[in-house]
Amino acid sequence: MSVLTLRLAGPLQAWGASARFIRRTTEAAPTKSGVIGMLAAAQGLQRGDDAGLAPLSALRFGVRIDQPGTRIRDFQTAHHAVTGKSMPLSERFYLADAVFVAALEGDHTLLTALHTALRAPVYPPYLGRRSCPPSLPVELGVHPDISLDQALRNEPWQASAWHQKRHRDQPTVTLVILREATSAERDGDEDVLRDQPLSFAAEHRRHTLRTVLSTIVNVPNPLARATRLPASGHTVPHHDPLGGLEEETA
Amino acid sequence: MNRIFLDVHALQTVPPSNLNRDDTGAPKSAVYGGVPRARVSSQAWKRATRSYFGDEHLLDPSELGVRTKKVAEVLATRITALEPSLKDAEALLLAAEMIQGATGSKIEVPKRKAGEEKDGAEESAPQSKYLMFLSARQLDGLAALAVEGAADIKKFLKDKDNKARAKQIADTRHSVDIALFGRMVADSADINVDAAVQVAHAISVHRVDNESDYYTAVDDRNTDAEPGAGMIGTVDFNSATLYRYAALGVHQLAANLGEGLRADEPRITPVRRAVEAFLHGFVASLPTGKINTFGNHTLPDAVVIKLRTTRPISFVAAFEEPVSAEQGSGHLREASARLANYIPDIERAYGDGESTLTWVLRVGPNTKKLAGIGTEAGSLTALVKSVGEAVADRMEQSA
Repeated sequence: MSVLTLRLAGPLQAWGASARFIRRTTEAAPTKSGVIGMLAAAQGLQRGDDAGLAPLSALRFGVRIDQPGTRIRDFQTAHHAVTGKSMPLSERFYLADAVFVAALEGDHTLLTALHTALRAPVYPPYLGRRSCPPSLPVELGVHPDISLDQALRNEPWQASAWHQKRHRDQPTVTLVILREATSAERDGDEDVLRDQPLSFAAEHRRHTLRTVLSTIVNVPNPLARATRLPASGHTVPHHDPLGGLEEETA
Repeated sequence: MNRIFLDVHALQTVPPSNLNRDDTGAPKSAVYGGVPRARVSSQAWKRATRSYFGDEHLLDPSELGVRTKKVAEVLATRITALEPSLKDAEALLLAAEMIQGATGSKIEVPKRKAGEEKDGAEESAPQSKYLMFLSARQLDGLAALAVEGAADIKKFLKDKDNKARAKQIADTRHSVDIALFGRMVADSADINVDAAVQVAHAISVHRVDNESDYYTAVDDRNTDAEPGAGMIGTVDFNSATLYRYAALGVHQLAANLGEGLRADEPRITPVRRAVEAFLHGFVASLPTGKINTFGNHTLPDAVVIKLRTTRPISFVAAFEEPVSAEQGSGHLREASARLANYIPDIERAYGDGESTLTWVLRVGPNTKKLAGIGTEAGSLTALVKSVGEAVADRMEQSA
């Protein structure tokens, strides 16, 4: 099996698993339907092409949370074209400042084709919502003869420089991986999420349940300080908060 | 399919302003690079761009669409214009039936608010449940068809062929703005149009904390006996140097526009006109939020255009580390320098080299570092013309 890895980074992302109509929420990590939708769009698949979608949906999906980001709320109104009156339209949630590594496991030829499609897409990629373009190209690479889990463990930490610096005291960081369980791993106790796409047809979008197995991985921090202990010869300077006062009154 | 993508990047400084506010009245914001930023939503700027097309006469009204719930009224006006013998009420009924037949979307009289009934207020005209986006061409076509079936519109639309004709009219010859920004009709998926343009939320290149202006307003007719303000309140605002980005799939735009608006012109003409209108409108437009309070009419100081055959690339990561204004030189100079360094770097790593064309339009010494990034255009008009020509060339080559 081969694995295609993607970097999902941008100022805003939004990955809805149950978002419809007025209130559009986001999950804390990219959904399978969102990422598969992006790949299908890159290939130029039309919305109702369920047969074309099937091989993509069959790919095993996983995601690593490299930089969790923060959730922000956006309130959107629309204006009436004739009266100019403003009308509340929707409440939308976004993940700001987040970075993820997504991975798809499956047939090498298909994954290579998808990688190529991402480089010259028919419909350009976006991070869950059209107004959220990625800040860097999303395609990282196709890795032959590797498992989904191993690919997600191997990928270097993709967090932003400022985020890595903020963790400079940690030579390694612990990241959460959320991935589909293999058949051997399934015991019926896994979490499930309704984001396995069956159809993107606009009149009847359909999703089914997908298992989500949560594991962790320790990844080196490229911007960690060489050593956490002060070098020999350095001493902590003496600090006496009342020293100055005594001198003053003497 | 050959891909043609047009990326538009702009740096624009706005003084104290509130272009786009949330439900508390504060300017919208986001966190990026770990610090708060000013944000102007993509929807706000798309609306500004769309309005600009009509307001500045960039496009003929026949090339534009209207987005409204009052589609029935709009169509009824066209029906009576075609057939003046029809009464207004008849025309409205025809229009409502025709839109339901063509789009599958329900057209109903909105429920009256409590009290309105008692006051004897007139029943309002039927409306669609959602904002519906129809082009001038489509409205004309539907009006003509409604007049044809005016004798018994329900029976007329029960006929399979007539209904198919109605649907066909609603699904072809999209106006330029619908082809660019898409159309969503919630009830009828088969006439949706996917937008060819992707607009990102504009964010400030630097840290921004919103400020609050406390104001008092004096009553001119106040007497000494009753001094004090007639009104007090606060207005939230901020000022920002924004990075704005949009990507246009020219090949998708061509597919959305279909055969073009007029039968007598070559297929490339409407695409080129749409690309030029979009570029001009996106660069020069400004959301109008609180514009009379702050008078924040500005234009971008720097515009960078990329015409590509591979996927669009946003340069927002150049500003992930917030630009500082420590030297008291504002944010524009450092923002321009950042872009000037970042663009060649990311193009080397991910770009497609020789097939990518680059243009720059810039103002003032603070943007000097961007001079070498691409072909310099002397004015927005020159930029738009030059990009339009290049797009037409690319389309001819790929045809």
